[in-house]
Amino acid sequence: MNLRLLGLGGAAALALFALQPAAGAAEPACGLDNGEKATGEPIVVGGINGNAPPGDFSGGTDAAAAYFKCVNDNGGIHGRPIEYIVENDQWNPELAAQVATKLVKDRGVVALVGNGSVVSMAVNAKLYKDENVMAMASACAISDCYENANIVSTNQGPLPSGIGALKFAIEELGTEHAACIGFNIPNNGGWACDWMGKYMESQGRKSTALLMDPAAVDLNSVYLQALAEGVDTILLMLPAGPALGILKVAEEQDGRDMFKWVSPTPLYDPTVPGALGDYWNDSLYVNIELAPFDSDGPDNRNWNAVMDAYGREDDRRDTFSQSGYVSAKFFVEALLEMDPGSIDRASVTEAIKSISGKTSDLLCGPYYVGDFDRHMPNHAGRMVVFRDGRFDVVRECYDIESSYLDPIREQERQLGLTQ
Amino acid sequence: MKIYGLFLISGLAVGSLYALGGIGLVVLRRATGVLNFAYGAIAAAAAMVCWQFGQWDFPGPAAWLSALVTGTALSLLYGMVVAPGLAWREPAVKAVATLGFALIILGVVSFLWDDAARKLVLPTDKMGVRLLGMKITVTRMIAFFGSIAILIGAVLYLDKTRTGLHMRALADNRDHSALIGIPVFRVETAAWALSGALAGFTGLMFGDLVRLDPTVITFTVIPAIAAAVCGRLNSLPLTFAGGLAIGVCEAMLTLVKPLAPLRSMTPFLLAALVILWMQRKETLTFAREG
Repeated sequence: MNLRLLGLGGAAALALFALQPAAGAAEPACGLDNGEKATGEPIVVGGINGNAPPGDFSGGTDAAAAYFKCVNDNGGIHGRPIEYIVENDQWNPELAAQVATKLVKDRGVVALVGNGSVVSMAVNAKLYKDENVMAMASACAISDCYENANIVSTNQGPLPSGIGALKFAIEELGTEHAACIGFNIPNNGGWACDWMGKYMESQGRKSTALLMDPAAVDLNSVYLQALAEGVDTILLMLPAGPALGILKVAEEQDGRDMFKWVSPTPLYDPTVPGALGDYWNDSLYVNIELAPFDSDGPDNRNWNAVMDAYGREDDRRDTFSQSGYVSAKFFVEALLEMDPGSIDRASVTEAIKSISGKTSDLLCGPYYVGDFDRHMPNHAGRMVVFRDGRFDVVRECYDIESSYLDPIREQERQLGLTQ
Repeated sequence: MKIYGLFLISGLAVGSLYALGGIGLVVLRRATGVLNFAYGAIAAAAAMVCWQFGQWDFPGPAAWLSALVTGTALSLLYGMVVAPGLAWREPAVKAVATLGFALIILGVVSFLWDDAARKLVLPTDKMGVRLLGMKITVTRMIAFFGSIAILIGAVLYLDKTRTGLHMRALADNRDHSALIGIPVFRVETAAWALSGALAGFTGLMFGDLVRLDPTVITFTVIPAIAAAVCGRLNSLPLTFAGGLAIGVCEAMLTLVKPLAPLRSMTPFLLAALVILWMQRKETLTFAREG
């Protein structure tokens, strides 16, 4: 339950305790990690999220905010604190342009970190390029986000994650003909399902794209359409809400065993198991873009520790949050390598573009940026299956094959990350 | 042929939900002259409250009842507090004011419940019969036959009861109704309550049969309005038929591949066609003069 209003009084009374790390919880480690509060001239950093109906993409900026607070309590950037300004575009293109202009032009941010907004990415990609400011994003889902010189996202988005799910389905579940159910949005569902089709073709398999309006009501017809197409696998290239709607229809029609069910990351959300129910045990496979939430790697543990100590009680702990932590951490590491007295937008943009070969247990491959016209450093993931109210890993890190990644592979070769 | 049958059944199921919404709109429109754009938002709030009661482990009937109570309460809140102040304004002003109420409800609902994954489940989801190879759950039957029952009930209520008579009188002429002593406020309050209860029921059905997403449920007011337009914002049987027609057309378009991704425009197209058909014998004023 997340009924924010109720218990507000109780929450206020408990706030002092909630803000402290739980007894025995790991201590967060951030930046210089020297325990000294940064008091110098602030470095202004921005972040834009979309948090309004139809979705909350604030996990990335929430995690980045928590990490920056932790950094500021631990020496900052050689004594300079990070002033992190987060704006919510409310999924409104006009507002998205306004808040980006405010951050980039009025406040003169040196970079944007933790961004998570489908609208803002499409609207502001040109502004970032024109103003030579980098956005180290965390919650991207459209092509504009991955095909821009000044945006680099830590999360994979639907394309690699969806193809990753299909690769598993072909190799482990025997998929021959898959339906890609996605939104009828050209730079989202259309883009991802199109590349899914190319991937299936390259594997000698068939595919069918079933695109629907984001507000579609007749999910039953979408399910029946898949049935009529004679597919053997359904790839739910959808956010969690409508994906659950399709799964509910399938459950109603006893359709679990008629198809293999796979999905990219959106269904890997802490709130999904409660909504799924036992019916989907061992039948729903999800590709995850970052490490499992309960994994034991140092970065995943530190992400939890930072969120415990510096996050708000209602901050989401999802893939976008993990992604925001990673973006913020690599951003801080880049700043720490700079002369604190010469930090400005141009030098920060250069420093970000110089990031290469960073590793984290949250990621399956190296993180890098480089001076390229597009970025997609994260394209390898894991596969989990829904089982007994949780997700269990069924395949550890694996990469995908898609001609979409040809320019990305070339970047990696140029940076010496692969042969 | 079987595949057409499947989509027909699927379309009837969705169409009955549109019809349900349309009936709720028309009942209110006939009595108060207000086209309530907040109908979907009220339905969304009702569905979320129902889900919340379920999370609090209230018995099923109490949770379902909470949807009806929430719908009625929200509708009455607007009908008793805001609507009287706009009673003498133009229909467009009245309609736009409800849009503001819809945005307030949607904002409050989004504040109270974040966009975590949720599912509204009714016990009737597990029960059903197979027809043409498709399982029709009892919940879908409740939505379909419930909308028929509500249609018959609403028609009888408006035709046979004194309050219904007053509602019809108000619909015909509000000024004259007031002059002959019809208790306008009381009759309108009854209409707001009835419409609110229908919105609560609509939200419950949408939350279960479509998905528990406040935004999606809020915007289902659009096909509901299209259904109401099919009934000329006046006729309940035609509204019901319009809702079913929209649902069936939308489902059938799934089979036409080039149009399948565009099928959500069905309500608009059908409403536009109905409007054109209704004014087919009309002549423009200036044309007549010429």
